[in-house]
Amino acid sequence: MMILEAKDLNYYYQDGDKRRYILKDTSVSFEKGKFYTILGQSGSGKTTLLSLLSALDSPHGGTVLFNDEDIKKIGYEKYRRNNVGIIFQSYNLIPTFTAVENVLIPMSITENDIPEDVKTVAYNLLDYIGIVQSKADRPVNKLSGGEQQRVAIARALATNVELILADEPTGNLDEEMEQEIIDIFKKMAHEHDKCVVVVTHSNEIAVQSDQAYLLRKGVLSSYE
Amino acid sequence: MNFIKRGFLGITRNKGKSLILLAVIFILGNLISGAISIQQATSNVESNIKERLGAAATVEIDYEELDALSEAELMETEIEDIDIDLIKQIGELSYVKYYDYNMSTSLGSESIESYQGEDMEDLVQFGPSMDFMMKGINYAPVLDFEEEKAKLVDGRVFNEEEVENGTSVAIISQKLAELNNLHVGDTFTLSNMVFTYDDETGEEEIVTSRDVVLEVIGLFESQTLKEDAGEDSEDGMFDFMDMDYQNTIYVPNEIVRSETEYYWEELLKSDEEFAEMMEAEGEDSSFEYYTPMFVLNNPEDSEAFEEEVAPLLPKLYTVVSATDQYDSIAGPVESMSKLAKYVLAAAVIATVLIIGLVVLLFLRDRKRELGIYLSLGERRGRVVGQILIEVMVVALIGITLSLFSGNFIAGQVSDTMMKADHNTSQDEMMYFSEIQTNLTTEDVLDSYEVSLNSSYILIFYGIGLLTILISTVIPLVYILRLNPKKILM
Ligand SMILES: Nc1ncnc2c1ncn2[C@@H]1O[C@H](COP(=O)(O)OP(=O)(O)OP(=O)(O)O)[C@@H](O)[C@H]1O
Ligand SMILES: [Mg+2]
Repeated sequence: MMILEAKDLNYYYQDGDKRRYILKDTSVSFEKGKFYTILGQSGSGKTTLLSLLSALDSPHGGTVLFNDEDIKKIGYEKYRRNNVGIIFQSYNLIPTFTAVENVLIPMSITENDIPEDVKTVAYNLLDYIGIVQSKADRPVNKLSGGEQQRVAIARALATNVELILADEPTGNLDEEMEQEIIDIFKKMAHEHDKCVVVVTHSNEIAVQSDQAYLLRKGVLSSYE
Repeated sequence: MNFIKRGFLGITRNKGKSLILLAVIFILGNLISGAISIQQATSNVESNIKERLGAAATVEIDYEELDALSEAELMETEIEDIDIDLIKQIGELSYVKYYDYNMSTSLGSESIESYQGEDMEDLVQFGPSMDFMMKGINYAPVLDFEEEKAKLVDGRVFNEEEVENGTSVAIISQKLAELNNLHVGDTFTLSNMVFTYDDETGEEEIVTSRDVVLEVIGLFESQTLKEDAGEDSEDGMFDFMDMDYQNTIYVPNEIVRSETEYYWEELLKSDEEFAEMMEAEGEDSSFEYYTPMFVLNNPEDSEAFEEEVAPLLPKLYTVVSATDQYDSIAGPVESMSKLAKYVLAAAVIATVLIIGLVVLLFLRDRKRELGIYLSLGERRGRVVGQILIEVMVVALIGITLSLFSGNFIAGQVSDTMMKADHNTSQDEMMYFSEIQTNLTTEDVLDSYEVSLNSSYILIFYGIGLLTILISTVIPLVYILRLNPKKILM
């Protein structure tokens, strides 16, 4: 069964009295337990597509279905709160908070069932992702880029969601760090039965995914 | 890490900004609290002074209106008397605690001496003296005693029967009694003398006289001068007023009425010209004239009372109440009060704008953080709540600090300002009517006190927090319009 489906998505920017389409009747679907990549040239609309899939923006046409339910019907806020974990290229952590505090934030927002002892869960999660407790208690702006992105991943996983969407998560990292992050994503998909969708420039990442798509001229196609 | 906890963490983790916000709120809070302090102090003065002025009111001819009339108009208008029925009608109004109406006349005496001040220089007297002021009363417990103009120090007040029947009993001042060795139960004699005045020679001639024998039932002591004893500035005037009062003799109205009637009848008998004139005017009861005096339940009722009574009065009469005098002595305080109002309004507006701007700038700095909350699916209402907590907690601290300092500054500032104000303004001469006061601008200033009372604290917290709440609402609109995609992706 598909966990996430995009049907005939349309998205455009108004350019004078002309519509410049970024996405044109694009359809795609994703299932649990798989690691997907979306490739495309700069400016092809990858981020736009991801913003629609993560309900940070709404399409001009078409629908996004989560477990066969229109996310508009679920409610964008509620969908973000309970159903999806988003990871950004620029980490987007809150600099005045420590790593563990950043992970605790979505746990207090979500309505999903999470264990009572949130602090232990957060520390364990960070540890699992590769952030030891001494680093977990540091303000995030005192962590390296790779460490910060790990914290961001832990934050995305903290609400126990089955769907992870990442926009160029390794864009700011060196190759070694990139591979470590990709390994985490693979583990999430294959060992924890999550659906992981990663937008990337990188062929190296694409070849490691179970399924790669190419976004070109507003349309997605399989990439071999 | 719910939004409440995040709010508190937001304060401690952004120490620099919190301190700046605290400083701004503290400074503006001082302005607001200072203005409210002064406002409170002035309104306390108003109620305090009005309390001391008392709740007395009377009905008198409106001299201002009378003066404004032209000669021709004056000829046409006939000034009616205030009759007892009207006095009783007004006295029944709900505002009135009790009331009295008085008729007075001056009498002389051959057997007792009048009080002429402590050091009793022998005054050379011309003609018959009329030193004794017989004040008729209808309210048996005596209004002047109830209102603490005087205190009964010996004997008793009148009873209803005596007032009704016009029994020959009197209450005199203790000083007058001592001077003439009179005690409760003694009798003394006044004489009601009728004399004519010769236009040509300018001589007065006693036509006839009769004795008025009164029994002393009580002694009173004047209270009005107690507080001011020792103050030298206006002693002369008050001594004089006091002397008059020491020679006042309280009796039932009926006694005054009958003595006045006797006086007029004898006068008419002796002076035919005058009698004819009076006949022509057709005024038969002109000697019977009562001055009403109403004491209201509360000085604050004065305005309502005046409003209700005014339509009942005959032409050219007006209500005069003790609190009317407040305006004439409270100049410096009134101007303080006005100034405080302006400062308050300006401070509130400035606070809304400045705090609004500061919070908006800080929020823009934290745009990304707010976007993150939204991307994590936090409800906008809770993001707003978090910011409100951050601002309001700091505001509460800032306002609490300025509660004390603003109050203190207000005390200092208003002291110097009022002193300066008072020195430049000359005390106005007041027109004293039936209702008298010895309160001056000095008293008003003395009763001015900036204090930390609960109503000030309540009002200040109310206004202060509300102002900051309003100023935070403006930037909150910014949060509601944030687009997390634009910020984060
Ligand atoms: N606010 C905007 N107004 C007009 N055009 C925009 C706006 N934002 C983005 N675009 C255009 O939309 C297109 C798609 O942008 P998008 O960010 O989705 O590309 P992308 O594939 O993520 O590129 P990159 O690999 O560089 O991140 C781009 O051509 C961009 O210029
Ligand atoms: Mg992009």
